[in-house]
Amino acid sequence: MDSAESSNQRRATVTQHEQWMVQDQVFQIYDIFANIPTKAQNLMLELQRDSHIEYLNKGLMQLSSSFVVLDANRPWLCYWILHSIALLGESIDYELENNAIDFLKHCQDPNGGYGGGPGQMPHLATTYAAVNSLITLGGRRALSSINREKLYAFLRRMKDSSGAFRMHDAGEIDVRACYTAISVASILNILDDELIEDVGNYILSCQTYEGGIAGEPGSEAHGGYTFCGLAAMILINEANRLDLAGLLDWVVFRQGVECGFQGRTNKLVDGCYSFWQGSVFALLQRLHSVNGKRVAFSDAEGDCATDSTSEGELTDGNSSETDETCHMKQGGHGEMEPLFHSIALQQYIILCSQEQGGGFRDKPGKAKDYYHTCYCLSGLSVCQYSWSKDENSPPLPKAVLGPYSNLLEPVHPLHNVVLKQYHEAHEFFSSQSTS
Amino acid sequence: MHGRPRKAPVPEDEAASAAKAEKLRALQSQVLSNHRHKIYTEEALELSTRLVEINPECYTAWNYRKLAFEHNLTRSDSNPNSVKSILEEELRVVEIALRQNFKSYSAWHHRKWVLSKRHSSIEKELWLLEKFQSADPRNFHAWSYRRFIAALMDRSDVDELEYTQNLIDKNISNYSAWHNRSVLLSNLMKKNVEGFTEKDEVLTKEYELVREALFTDEDDQSGWFYHLWLLDQTVKAKSPLLAVEGVNSSTVNVEYGSNLNQGLVWKPLSTYKSRAAQAWITQLSFPNADLHSLEAYPVEITVGHCQGIISSSGFHYSQSSHFVFTVRVQPVKKELKEGSGVEKISWTDENFYLCEPHFVESNLVAWFHQLCLKNEHEPVANAWQVKIIEEEMKHFCMLSDCKIGKLTLARLLTAYDALMSSGKLVHSQEILGLYIDLMKLDPPHYQYYKNEHSVVLLQQVMSSRESLLSRCFHYRDLTSSSRGYPMCLRLNKLSLSRIGSFAKLLWVQMLDLSHNELQSIEGLEALQLLIHLSLSENKLSSFTALEPLRQLKSLKSLDISYNEIGARSIDTTRYLCSSPLSNSIGNEWEQDRILVDGVSMTNYWEAFFVLKGLNLTQLDVVGNAIADENFTLFLVRVLPTLKWLDGVQLNLF
Repeated sequence: MDSAESSNQRRATVTQHEQWMVQDQVFQIYDIFANIPTKAQNLMLELQRDSHIEYLNKGLMQLSSSFVVLDANRPWLCYWILHSIALLGESIDYELENNAIDFLKHCQDPNGGYGGGPGQMPHLATTYAAVNSLITLGGRRALSSINREKLYAFLRRMKDSSGAFRMHDAGEIDVRACYTAISVASILNILDDELIEDVGNYILSCQTYEGGIAGEPGSEAHGGYTFCGLAAMILINEANRLDLAGLLDWVVFRQGVECGFQGRTNKLVDGCYSFWQGSVFALLQRLHSVNGKRVAFSDAEGDCATDSTSEGELTDGNSSETDETCHMKQGGHGEMEPLFHSIALQQYIILCSQEQGGGFRDKPGKAKDYYHTCYCLSGLSVCQYSWSKDENSPPLPKAVLGPYSNLLEPVHPLHNVVLKQYHEAHEFFSSQSTS
Repeated sequence: MHGRPRKAPVPEDEAASAAKAEKLRALQSQVLSNHRHKIYTEEALELSTRLVEINPECYTAWNYRKLAFEHNLTRSDSNPNSVKSILEEELRVVEIALRQNFKSYSAWHHRKWVLSKRHSSIEKELWLLEKFQSADPRNFHAWSYRRFIAALMDRSDVDELEYTQNLIDKNISNYSAWHNRSVLLSNLMKKNVEGFTEKDEVLTKEYELVREALFTDEDDQSGWFYHLWLLDQTVKAKSPLLAVEGVNSSTVNVEYGSNLNQGLVWKPLSTYKSRAAQAWITQLSFPNADLHSLEAYPVEITVGHCQGIISSSGFHYSQSSHFVFTVRVQPVKKELKEGSGVEKISWTDENFYLCEPHFVESNLVAWFHQLCLKNEHEPVANAWQVKIIEEEMKHFCMLSDCKIGKLTLARLLTAYDALMSSGKLVHSQEILGLYIDLMKLDPPHYQYYKNEHSVVLLQQVMSSRESLLSRCFHYRDLTSSSRGYPMCLRLNKLSLSRIGSFAKLLWVQMLDLSHNELQSIEGLEALQLLIHLSLSENKLSSFTALEPLRQLKSLKSLDISYNEIGARSIDTTRYLCSSPLSNSIGNEWEQDRILVDGVSMTNYWEAFFVLKGLNLTQLDVVGNAIADENFTLFLVRVLPTLKWLDGVQLNLF
């Protein structure tokens, strides 16, 4: 691209070279897309539902042996696959469902919480994954398999005197631990003042001058932790203690020329941040005000410059000069462009992260995996629903890139479980007393 | 090199990987079994070594090793050689594990744990870190570990600063190095370390450094974010317009009549349950005042004489400052007689007449001067701050054909104007121009620039005498007697998407914000004197966006006609408040849900929430999707004081 080549003549860093390589690959895809007939374009924009389901089911059945490194993370694998299937609006057959419930039961520690596999120590992240998996499966058998009293005791044990949480006995303390603990406690209706106490102070100490939130005090802001920190603060009703305007400043500029999100300043685009950063917008949108800055999302009809019927407007060869930020042409009237470009992000997810044979990847050239499949799909869902504020009404066709059949199930952005499943769990657990 | 497609890695041979996984599972169950039975023999330990070397994320095995480590250490405490070998063995295992996966949380954490037990052989850590950090300079585990080790070794921040310098020299795009630099410099300046005592000199050097990076490649984000931090450091103390906490009778002295602080209770004006707010109120009482004497009572307010007021960004307000104004006590005018006495306000242009300048000046401008905060110490910006900002402005004019250059220039100009105590916004026109350019150049961030533009525009309107005069009107409805209306400030038709400058609006009683693009009125709660408000023809999309109105207890007439309320059903904030603990608002509704019978009220939850506590006599909601017969019924029940609804006088019962 123009900018890349002219910069090339100056001194270039390794980081810049990598960035240009990725840009080139992404732009190549967009250029191909722009120059093929509309029919073929429509095909390219299609979510390959069948292939994805096939890929996910395969994973579920054999938990393929190449997941060696994930052997301490098996509930995560369950969650990524089950949640992806739920997002696609499918369910799994009865036997697999029972197997999953039984398996997670074996991961549950007698003293509360879930470990990375049977016999492993309980760990907050895998507890979050296990609880979200069971909520995604739904039904009495799954939900009642969670020992809430013991889990509460586990959470209390993981609470550090500073107010933050540690991942496991003698484990590390960070914002991830705080989020997973608060999310699980909230959804199971066992969140109380003791668990909440001072956790907000810790998260606050992790917000950096950039505006985003770091994993621990002193580190740089990071997309995953920013989601964790913000979601946890909302769940304990202390979001306004954060510098939300600064947070917005930071996250707005994490969406780059490739249309996808990066996780940190000057890092490469990665499909999984479609959720981690994209849902930060969804959360800010629902927090109806942001320290004086309204998070503006376009709403009324006619605001969106690109809609599903105008894929032809997607980038063409000579638009690069006027449109460096987002490789996508804008319509004539831009009065109400949203802060985060939801259509552009969908474009990245579908054209660059999606593999035609099923599954999603970080970026072109990388291999697909279940983690990226889960978070690309979650991000896609957040995008599709980002234009509608109401959970009950389906998004307008123009909010969904590609055919309307691409529409996924909506998620609860604080817990990242499918909304319908969240409601079932909410109802189930709110009838049970707080311990 | 450009555009060469990458190949996806070849998938492992499935049979081999299945065998590998089988082996790993067997190994894992052996280790877990040893863990349960507390077996810490050499053979048992060796098994766990093999396990974590294959799978560094196996945190249970690491915890087993911690127990084994302590077990073996207590057995050999007398022998320094075996202590040393146990320690080195443990570090060796972690190192191998990290080579396998150097993003492993568990392995990094284990290494920290081992080193915090015994301080020895720590020198090697920096060497190891250099190796890891040159392989992946952005690995945040490694950076966090580096800060940990530096603290453990008592390594000076100056040495660490030099390390970041080296990394930046190698690769100016390494934002992690820039970030660590900001952390280190903050420490050094805070601790007044030699060579870092003169903030201006330190910052000037940093500006030069980052400029070099920015002029090397203007598209590189790292330098821009670092530049933002520098700007923050340069002008930080100058932005107290954030939410603060700690306002009370000891941090704020109020002297009035013969009273000093007697029984004053300060309340934060916040829409959240929060201890912090941008605006705080208290009420003064003059029990002995003669109601008819027209005597003026001076009130003197002093803040900043002691610590205690803290902004949400952690800044302690400590500049001693004060202001003085006078209060006249008057008898409260009796409310006009019930019913017919309340007149309808019609916000059409014909009903507004520009105030004569002398009238405005005698009232308003005088109030302004009274309420201006006077700093004890001359508030004039330090010369070095001005110099730095001027220097930067000069440089960034050259980069102002790229987006981020424009944005930075806009921020610099804003900072410069704020530094100048005169309150004159010399550069506002230029800043507005930059934001307009940005809206065109960078459409995906349109709304962001639009909001910034609105705030500057409003500042501009409020800061000059001429522009303010052109926006002050008398309200006069020719069809009625229309007397006794306060002066109206008309900020209509400015295409504002966001409002600000609340400190300069505190006096307003009648405010016209119609024909803008507001989606939120956040901050409006500070305008405690507001009686009449028009928000007609904006982009408000729900009643929750009107939440600040709940705090405006004097509000009598409200025009929210022709917005987008209800266009897309309800925006449930409750949706976010899933926890029963955080949902106190819901309870209020539950108790009152039978309030209006016969009509299904569930759709009006938000309207109820916002309007319930208000004593409105006039409300205009026409032109919103929510407005229908049922909603009218609802409003009449919820607002018993209402006399006019959408221009129609309500029947008197």
